[in-house]
Amino acid sequence: MNSPADVPAEGVETQPWASIVQRIQANEPSGMEELYKVFTTGIRFHLCRQLGPQDLDDRVHDAFLTIAQSIRRGDLREPERLMGYVRTVVRRQVAGYIGIAMSARRTLVDPDHAILRDRKPDPERKAIEEQNNELAMRVLNTLPLRDREVLVRFYLQEQSPSQICRDMRLTATQFRLTKSRAKARFTELGLARFSRRHGFQAAAPERRREASPVS
Amino acid sequence: MAKVGLHLDEETVEKYSMSKLSSRKVVEAEKHLLVCEACQKAVADSDAYVAAMKKAAAGVRKSEEKQKPRRRVAGK
Repeated sequence: MNSPADVPAEGVETQPWASIVQRIQANEPSGMEELYKVFTTGIRFHLCRQLGPQDLDDRVHDAFLTIAQSIRRGDLREPERLMGYVRTVVRRQVAGYIGIAMSARRTLVDPDHAILRDRKPDPERKAIEEQNNELAMRVLNTLPLRDREVLVRFYLQEQSPSQICRDMRLTATQFRLTKSRAKARFTELGLARFSRRHGFQAAAPERRREASPVS
Repeated sequence: MAKVGLHLDEETVEKYSMSKLSSRKVVEAEKHLLVCEACQKAVADSDAYVAAMKKAAAGVRKSEEKQKPRRRVAGK
């Protein structure tokens, strides 16, 4: 599994927030273009993570609309806070959708106002999840009992690392190693499966990232 | 020019996936995630891994419970 910590930090560019904000306020199309360019994947990521893929394009569009209107109204007083402002708008939007979904669910039990929604899970997503669950089970079943207990306590019971180390008489390093070995094994099993399915033995590093079993 | 922050380290990514980050760190992480595709990918991978491990761990606990010898009721 690739870690972004492997990527040099300077890989993330600095952004001219003030210029973007000024251009949006002046109704210059380049301002909106820049806003889209910088934030589209991030807004999609947050909305999809919180709300799922359903209606994602519409939701992303709504978020940009809200952000642009707010900037034009002058709600964003300090342009250098644009990133925090975008995050706040997206969080409010998520909260709004969750509120709507909750009241819709209440309406569902009222037959006079019944709304039938397509609640079928995405089959591809479901298949990937099942594969990941199976891999995780294989990892746990092949571990020594003690290591397995560490992982069960951490991931299922959500005990803190310090509590686990105290209860199981582990050092912080032993704890980290147990976790990282399991994760490495999970990735290895996923890659092996991907390779078998696609008919090649060793994937190049770049391909390996694409072949990550979990996303 | 405004800086958009350093990449999230592995521990932060995992804590974010498990909702164990402090509020202040969530703000910083989410601002960074708005503009960093590498970290978005890392969080997506971590979300999936954590969910799979949680489910598998629940399965392990369940089968352990089943295998435990049942206690005899006193007097019987």
